[in-house]
Amino acid sequence: MIDVLFLILSIFALLGAIGMISLVNTMHSALSFVVTVMSLAGLYALLNASFLFMVQIIVYAGAIIVLILFMIMFLNIKQDHAPKEPNKFLNMLVVAIVLVPVDYLIFSAFLKMSHIEDFSEKTEGFGDIKMLGQELFSKWLLPFEIISILLLVALIGSIILARKKERK
Amino acid sequence: MIEASFMSYIALAIILFSLGIIGFISRKNIFIIYMSLELMLNAINLMLVTLSKYFGSMDGQIIAMMVIAIAASEAVIFLSLIVVMYRLKKSVNIDDFDTLKQKGTL
Repeated sequence: MIDVLFLILSIFALLGAIGMISLVNTMHSALSFVVTVMSLAGLYALLNASFLFMVQIIVYAGAIIVLILFMIMFLNIKQDHAPKEPNKFLNMLVVAIVLVPVDYLIFSAFLKMSHIEDFSEKTEGFGDIKMLGQELFSKWLLPFEIISILLLVALIGSIILARKKERK
Repeated sequence: MIEASFMSYIALAIILFSLGIIGFISRKNIFIIYMSLELMLNAINLMLVTLSKYFGSMDGQIIAMMVIAIAASEAVIFLSLIVVMYRLKKSVNIDDFDTLKQKGTL
Protein backbone atom coordinates (compact mmCIF):
# COMPACT_ATOMS: atom_id res chain seq x y z
CA MET A 1 0.00 0.00 0.00
CA ILE A 2 2.78 2.42 0.97
CA ASP A 3 4.69 1.46 -2.16
CA VAL A 4 1.71 2.30 -4.39
CA LEU A 5 1.21 5.61 -2.57
CA PHE A 6 4.91 6.41 -2.92
CA LEU A 7 4.80 5.61 -6.63
CA ILE A 8 1.76 7.80 -7.27
CA LEU A 9 3.08 10.72 -5.19
CA SER A 10 6.55 10.62 -6.72
CA ILE A 11 5.13 10.50 -10.26
CA PHE A 12 2.96 13.54 -9.45
CA ALA A 13 5.94 15.36 -7.93
CA LEU A 14 8.10 14.70 -10.98
CA LEU A 15 5.36 15.64 -13.46
CA GLY A 16 4.68 18.86 -11.54
CA ALA A 17 8.35 19.77 -11.50
CA ILE A 18 8.79 19.02 -15.22
CA GLY A 19 5.69 21.08 -16.01
CA MET A 20 6.95 23.89 -13.81
CA ILE A 21 10.24 24.26 -15.63
CA SER A 22 8.90 23.68 -19.15
CA LEU A 23 5.54 25.47 -19.43
CA VAL A 24 5.51 28.84 -21.19
CA ASN A 25 2.74 30.60 -19.29
CA THR A 26 3.88 31.77 -15.84
CA MET A 27 0.52 31.09 -14.22
CA HIS A 28 0.40 27.50 -15.52
CA SER A 29 3.92 27.01 -14.24
CA ALA A 30 3.00 28.22 -10.74
CA LEU A 31 -0.09 26.00 -10.66
CA SER A 32 2.06 23.06 -11.73
CA PHE A 33 4.39 23.80 -8.82
CA VAL A 34 1.43 23.43 -6.44
CA VAL A 35 1.14 19.79 -7.55
CA THR A 36 4.78 19.19 -6.64
CA VAL A 37 4.43 20.86 -3.23
CA MET A 38 1.33 18.89 -2.31
CA SER A 39 2.90 15.59 -3.45
CA LEU A 40 5.94 16.35 -1.31
CA ALA A 41 3.62 16.97 1.64
CA GLY A 42 2.18 13.48 1.06
CA LEU A 43 5.69 12.04 0.94
CA TYR A 44 6.47 13.67 4.30
CA ALA A 45 3.38 11.96 5.70
CA LEU A 46 4.68 8.63 4.37
CA LEU A 47 8.01 9.33 6.10
CA ASN A 48 6.33 9.69 9.57
CA ALA A 49 6.84 13.48 9.56
CA SER A 50 3.24 14.38 10.35
CA PHE A 51 4.01 17.86 11.65
CA LEU A 52 6.11 18.72 8.58
CA PHE A 53 3.21 17.48 6.43
CA MET A 54 1.01 20.18 7.98
CA VAL A 55 3.74 22.82 7.83
CA GLN A 56 4.39 22.05 4.17
CA ILE A 57 0.72 22.46 3.28
CA ILE A 58 0.18 25.58 5.42
CA VAL A 59 3.42 27.44 4.69
CA TYR A 60 4.28 26.31 1.16
CA ALA A 61 0.93 25.74 -0.50
CA GLY A 62 -0.88 28.23 1.70
CA ALA A 63 1.55 31.12 1.93
CA ILE A 64 4.43 30.96 -0.55
CA ILE A 65 2.54 29.69 -3.60
CA VAL A 66 -0.36 32.04 -2.93
CA LEU A 67 2.15 34.90 -2.67
CA ILE A 68 3.70 33.91 -6.00
CA LEU A 69 0.27 33.63 -7.67
CA PHE A 70 -0.72 37.00 -6.18
CA MET A 71 2.46 38.61 -7.55
CA ILE A 72 1.92 37.10 -11.01
CA MET A 73 -1.64 38.45 -11.10
CA PHE A 74 -0.52 41.77 -9.59
CA LEU A 75 2.14 42.35 -12.24
CA ASN A 76 -0.29 41.06 -14.90
CA ILE A 77 2.18 38.97 -16.88
CA LYS A 78 0.50 38.26 -20.20
CA GLN A 79 1.54 35.68 -22.74
CA ASP A 80 3.22 38.29 -24.97
CA HIS A 81 5.00 39.92 -22.01
CA ALA A 82 6.68 36.65 -21.09
CA PRO A 83 10.28 36.42 -22.30
CA LYS A 84 10.90 34.75 -25.64
CA GLU A 85 12.92 31.58 -25.15
CA PRO A 86 13.41 29.94 -28.54
CA ASN A 87 16.11 27.41 -27.57
CA LYS A 88 14.84 26.62 -24.08
CA PHE A 89 14.71 22.85 -24.54
CA LEU A 90 18.20 22.71 -26.04
CA ASN A 91 19.56 24.50 -22.95
CA MET A 92 17.66 22.08 -20.71
CA LEU A 93 19.10 19.11 -22.58
CA VAL A 94 22.66 20.43 -22.23
CA VAL A 95 22.25 21.10 -18.50
CA ALA A 96 20.66 17.66 -17.98
CA ILE A 97 23.57 15.93 -19.75
CA VAL A 98 26.05 17.87 -17.60
CA LEU A 99 24.14 16.93 -14.42
CA VAL A 100 23.99 13.16 -15.10
CA PRO A 101 27.50 12.32 -13.79
CA VAL A 102 27.03 14.56 -10.73
CA ASP A 103 23.75 12.83 -9.91
CA TYR A 104 25.34 9.41 -10.41
CA LEU A 105 28.14 10.38 -8.00
CA ILE A 106 25.71 11.51 -5.27
CA PHE A 107 23.51 8.45 -5.79
CA SER A 108 26.41 6.01 -5.54
CA ALA A 109 27.63 7.79 -2.40
CA PHE A 110 24.22 7.21 -0.81
CA LEU A 111 24.16 3.62 -2.09
CA LYS A 112 27.20 2.86 0.08
CA MET A 113 25.37 3.78 3.31
CA SER A 114 22.06 1.97 2.79
CA HIS A 115 22.48 -1.13 4.93
CA ILE A 116 19.39 -0.90 7.19
CA GLU A 117 16.67 -3.02 5.63
CA ASP A 118 13.61 -2.24 7.78
CA PHE A 119 13.30 1.38 6.70
CA SER A 120 9.53 1.37 7.12
CA GLU A 121 9.41 0.52 10.83
CA LYS A 122 10.17 3.10 13.47
CA THR A 123 9.31 3.80 17.10
CA GLU A 124 5.89 5.01 18.20
CA GLY A 125 5.27 8.75 18.09
CA PHE A 126 8.28 9.51 15.89
CA GLY A 127 7.83 12.80 14.04
CA ASP A 128 4.65 14.01 15.69
CA ILE A 129 4.27 17.46 17.15
CA LYS A 130 5.08 16.51 20.76
CA MET A 131 8.45 14.97 20.01
CA LEU A 132 9.37 17.73 17.58
CA GLY A 133 8.40 20.44 20.08
CA GLN A 134 10.46 18.84 22.84
CA GLU A 135 13.53 18.73 20.60
CA LEU A 136 12.90 22.22 19.26
CA PHE A 137 12.64 23.92 22.64
CA SER A 138 15.51 22.10 24.34
CA LYS A 139 18.28 21.32 21.88
CA TRP A 140 17.43 23.77 19.09
CA LEU A 141 16.31 26.76 21.16
CA LEU A 142 18.94 29.24 19.96
CA PRO A 143 18.47 28.49 16.21
CA PHE A 144 14.71 28.77 16.75
CA GLU A 145 15.07 32.27 18.22
CA ILE A 146 17.48 33.28 15.44
CA ILE A 147 14.92 32.08 12.86
CA SER A 148 12.26 34.26 14.48
CA ILE A 149 14.56 37.29 14.28
CA LEU A 150 15.22 36.42 10.62
CA LEU A 151 11.49 36.41 9.89
CA LEU A 152 11.12 39.83 11.55
CA VAL A 153 14.04 41.21 9.50
CA ALA A 154 12.50 39.83 6.29
CA LEU A 155 9.15 41.46 7.17
CA ILE A 156 10.69 44.90 7.77
CA GLY A 157 13.04 44.58 4.79
CA SER A 158 10.26 43.76 2.34
CA ILE A 159 8.23 46.77 3.50
CA ILE A 160 11.23 49.06 3.07
CA LEU A 161 12.11 47.59 -0.34
CA ALA A 162 8.67 47.67 -1.91
CA ARG A 163 7.30 51.01 -0.69
CA LYS A 164 7.16 54.02 -2.97
CA LYS A 165 9.91 56.58 -2.83
CA GLU A 166 8.72 59.91 -1.46
CA ARG A 167 9.13 62.80 -3.86
CA LYS A 168 10.55 65.94 -2.28
CA MET B 1 8.40 -2.67 -9.03
CA ILE B 2 9.50 0.51 -7.32
CA GLU B 3 9.14 0.29 -3.54
CA ALA B 4 9.24 2.99 -0.90
CA SER B 5 12.77 2.23 0.22
CA PHE B 6 15.52 4.57 1.34
CA MET B 7 17.19 4.74 -2.04
CA SER B 8 14.00 5.57 -3.93
CA TYR B 9 13.36 8.59 -1.71
CA ILE B 10 16.98 9.69 -2.19
CA ALA B 11 16.71 9.19 -5.97
CA LEU B 12 13.50 11.25 -6.07
CA ALA B 13 15.17 14.05 -4.10
CA ILE B 14 18.22 14.04 -6.39
CA ILE B 15 16.04 14.14 -9.53
CA LEU B 16 13.92 17.00 -8.14
CA PHE B 17 17.06 18.96 -7.23
CA SER B 18 18.43 18.43 -10.75
CA LEU B 19 15.16 19.61 -12.28
CA GLY B 20 15.49 22.72 -10.13
CA ILE B 21 19.01 23.35 -11.43
CA ILE B 22 17.84 22.78 -15.03
CA GLY B 23 15.00 25.28 -14.64
CA PHE B 24 17.25 27.76 -12.86
CA ILE B 25 19.85 27.81 -15.63
CA SER B 26 17.77 27.45 -18.79
CA ARG B 27 14.77 29.74 -18.20
CA LYS B 28 14.59 33.53 -18.52
CA ASN B 29 11.35 34.29 -16.69
CA ILE B 30 12.29 35.48 -13.20
CA PHE B 31 9.22 33.86 -11.60
CA ILE B 32 10.19 30.45 -12.96
CA ILE B 33 13.76 30.98 -11.73
CA TYR B 34 12.36 31.74 -8.28
CA MET B 35 10.15 28.64 -8.35
CA SER B 36 13.14 26.53 -9.38
CA LEU B 37 14.93 27.81 -6.27
CA GLU B 38 11.95 26.74 -4.19
CA LEU B 39 11.98 23.34 -5.90
CA MET B 40 15.63 22.87 -4.93
CA LEU B 41 14.83 23.79 -1.31
CA ASN B 42 11.96 21.28 -1.36
CA ALA B 43 14.22 18.54 -2.69
CA ILE B 44 16.73 19.20 0.09
CA ASN B 45 13.88 19.08 2.61
CA LEU B 46 12.78 15.70 1.28
CA MET B 47 16.33 14.40 1.62
CA LEU B 48 16.58 15.76 5.19
CA VAL B 49 13.32 14.12 6.23
CA THR B 50 14.39 10.82 4.63
CA LEU B 51 17.71 10.89 6.48
CA SER B 52 15.88 11.80 9.69
CA LYS B 53 13.84 8.63 9.40
CA TYR B 54 16.89 6.60 8.39
CA PHE B 55 18.90 7.63 11.44
CA GLY B 56 15.89 7.67 13.79
CA SER B 57 16.67 11.20 14.95
CA MET B 58 14.47 14.30 14.89
CA ASP B 59 17.27 16.69 13.91
CA GLY B 60 16.64 16.33 10.18
CA GLN B 61 12.98 17.28 10.54
CA ILE B 62 13.86 20.33 12.64
CA ILE B 63 16.41 21.49 10.08
CA ALA B 64 13.77 20.94 7.38
CA MET B 65 11.35 23.13 9.33
CA MET B 66 14.00 25.85 9.55
CA VAL B 67 14.62 25.56 5.82
CA ILE B 68 10.88 26.14 5.32
CA ALA B 69 11.06 29.26 7.54
CA ILE B 70 14.06 30.55 5.58
CA ALA B 71 12.21 29.83 2.31
CA ALA B 72 9.25 31.88 3.54
CA SER B 73 11.41 34.89 4.40
CA GLU B 74 13.25 34.44 1.10
CA ALA B 75 9.91 34.48 -0.72
CA VAL B 76 9.01 37.81 0.86
CA ILE B 77 12.33 39.46 0.01
CA PHE B 78 12.56 38.00 -3.50
CA LEU B 79 9.03 38.98 -4.49
CA SER B 80 9.44 42.53 -3.20
CA LEU B 81 12.69 42.75 -5.19
CA ILE B 82 10.76 41.52 -8.27
CA VAL B 83 8.24 44.34 -7.70
CA VAL B 84 11.05 46.91 -7.46
CA MET B 85 12.78 45.60 -10.60
CA TYR B 86 9.48 45.47 -12.48
CA ARG B 87 8.86 49.12 -11.62
CA LEU B 88 12.26 50.07 -13.01
CA LYS B 89 12.34 47.96 -16.19
CA LYS B 90 8.69 46.95 -16.89
CA SER B 91 9.83 43.41 -17.61
CA VAL B 92 10.26 39.97 -16.03
CA ASN B 93 13.03 38.91 -18.42
CA ILE B 94 16.32 38.50 -16.58
CA ASP B 95 18.21 39.73 -19.66
CA ASP B 96 16.74 43.18 -19.02
CA PHE B 97 18.16 43.38 -15.51
CA ASP B 98 21.66 44.33 -16.69
CA THR B 99 22.29 47.60 -14.82
CA LEU B 100 25.52 46.29 -13.31
CA LYS B 101 26.81 44.95 -16.63
CA GLN B 102 29.62 46.89 -18.25
CA LYS B 103 28.57 48.17 -21.65
CA GLY B 104 30.97 48.23 -24.60
CA THR B 105 34.41 46.68 -24.75
CA LEU B 106 36.65 46.22 -21.78
